[in-house]
Amino acid sequence: MTTVPFDPELAAALTVISEQLPPVITPEMIVPMRQGAALAPVTDDDLRRDGRFTVEERAVPGLDGDPDVTLLICRPTAATGTLGCVYHTHGGGMIIGDNRTGIGEMLDLAERFNLVVVSVEYRLAPETPHPGPVNDCYAGLLWTAKNAADLGFDPDRLLVAGGSAGGGLAAALALMARDLDGPALRGQLLIYPMLDDRNDTTSSVQMEGLGVWDRGSNRTGWTALLGEAAGGPDVSPYAAPARAGDLSGLPPAFIDVGSAETFRDEDVAYASRIWQAGGQAELHVWPGGFHGFDVMVPSAALSQDARAARVRWLDRLLGS
Amino acid sequence: MKDLAVRLAALDADASAAVQVIAYSDGLVEAGAGLQSIVRGAAVLSGCPARLDDTARRVHIRMRPDGVAAPDPAPVSPDWPHLDLGTAGLWLERDGGPGPVDAMVLERAASAARTVLDRTRGRAPVADDPAMVELLIDSSAAPESRLRAARLLGLSGTASVLVTYAGEVALLTSGTEPPLIRGGLGPAVPVLDLPSSWQAARVAVRFSAAGTDDDPGDLLVRHDELGSLAVLVAVPDPGSVPDVRVLEQAAASTPWLPTTLHAVTTSSSLRAAAALLRLHHSTLQDRVTQASHLLGWNLREPHGLLRARLALTLRHLHRSTAA
Repeated sequence: MTTVPFDPELAAALTVISEQLPPVITPEMIVPMRQGAALAPVTDDDLRRDGRFTVEERAVPGLDGDPDVTLLICRPTAATGTLGCVYHTHGGGMIIGDNRTGIGEMLDLAERFNLVVVSVEYRLAPETPHPGPVNDCYAGLLWTAKNAADLGFDPDRLLVAGGSAGGGLAAALALMARDLDGPALRGQLLIYPMLDDRNDTTSSVQMEGLGVWDRGSNRTGWTALLGEAAGGPDVSPYAAPARAGDLSGLPPAFIDVGSAETFRDEDVAYASRIWQAGGQAELHVWPGGFHGFDVMVPSAALSQDARAARVRWLDRLLGS
Repeated sequence: MKDLAVRLAALDADASAAVQVIAYSDGLVEAGAGLQSIVRGAAVLSGCPARLDDTARRVHIRMRPDGVAAPDPAPVSPDWPHLDLGTAGLWLERDGGPGPVDAMVLERAASAARTVLDRTRGRAPVADDPAMVELLIDSSAAPESRLRAARLLGLSGTASVLVTYAGEVALLTSGTEPPLIRGGLGPAVPVLDLPSSWQAARVAVRFSAAGTDDDPGDLLVRHDELGSLAVLVAVPDPGSVPDVRVLEQAAASTPWLPTTLHAVTTSSSLRAAAALLRLHHSTLQDRVTQASHLLGWNLREPHGLLRARLALTLRHLHRSTAA
């Protein structure tokens, strides 16, 4: 099958990236990746940004007797007026990462839009299969919404956000909040979200063995979360939001994805189905983008445009 | 899969950094990246602002190390690491001595930029350094010298030679519109064939006209469009051809004759010729009758029109020889 070419700047960076991160992540690589330097460590000092944020970690009750969930809470110190809150679910294919993964862009948005950042430390697969991870996320969301006054934000300005697996989790939180009479959400920021365990779209086949987080890696992630059930008939939409039969009544969604990655077609389909259900979604497909391009090659023109589009969406969503 | 510690910006002065600079730069060239991406790459890899200036082409690209475009009209500093690219220059805005990978970044970026400039310059008007142009149209000069001259002029692909009526020679890259001056244009040819384009342009310019009432015709003549008429350039003394002499004599006493003949011989009908001359149809009919009488052949017949066309053409050749 013909592949989609990468953007020139991203293609050049990929030659460097591939040396450290192969396109195919196999199950045997999960443990070494967690131990290695695959994820950039983020220190408390990084989070404080020269005093512009206060940083605190809080343990809050898990769902239905699950263990406590740790929330990383970063509050902007200079903010005036009404604060909002971005509840962040980190990426990492359900198998790696922690609540500081991908926090940089959330802090950027927080500074710009006066948001408290709450990032959840959910348990990872395969040690914790579905529904453990998403339940941890939901427990943290419930606590965050309930404690809005304490945290100092307006509960009307609470949104969920995440990239990759975190985007899938954020989408699942929106579904759960709708179905379980959970907190009202202002929006869902789904950054190249991982939505569909079936892993059989044209884009996933087309880009197999190429770029970042290819079809094989995706299989590794979904199998870790769902085991044998992955791709089968009985997968919960809270694990794989693409499985949801009804996408109506959801908060406005922002969805972006690269045209040269596994998730392209499932993300485009999700946006289309939200519109078909009468919902609001903004969809950006960045030409020649591989998975996570904006984070791995932040300087590229395409990355700058992708970040700017998210900012513009929040501008409209939060009415600032 | 976010926040991987693969940050191009985090390069150190070790061997792997050098390898990454090379891999990244080669990747840009392979992917056909443009100048913006190349300058951005130089800024990101070196960790300081990078700029490419080409005053001749009015290009100014400046990128910050975070990849954001930040044009700055301030002049470059002589202390900055710098590489020359013909009319363009590439700078890393680093004060206080070069960084560990600066030299390699500059070299790689310059090489990539040169590739792009070579590719895109074909669309820009060509610089006309007379010595270089002279070399390019000289078939006796070594091909290597001519290719080098072409490179220095930023020529690639095909070009054609323009010879002006005043005798100047200029090069036009393919797709460039020639200026509105009297001259002859040779065919578009590969760089090494420019001497033949020059020969053709020298032929074509002799068929050009002043575009006045006394000397009507095309200011700029393309050799490609002359067809068989081009062989007339070999006529030894066109002014002495009887039809041309008759035409000269008649034109001396009848100022409207040259324009009328030009219009009648180059239009598809008398009506079209009348429109061109802004005459009433019947007025032109009268003139054609009178012109046939003055010349001594019938302008209402195709053969008569051909004689008139040839006489006019030979008259151009006669006049351009005299000039």
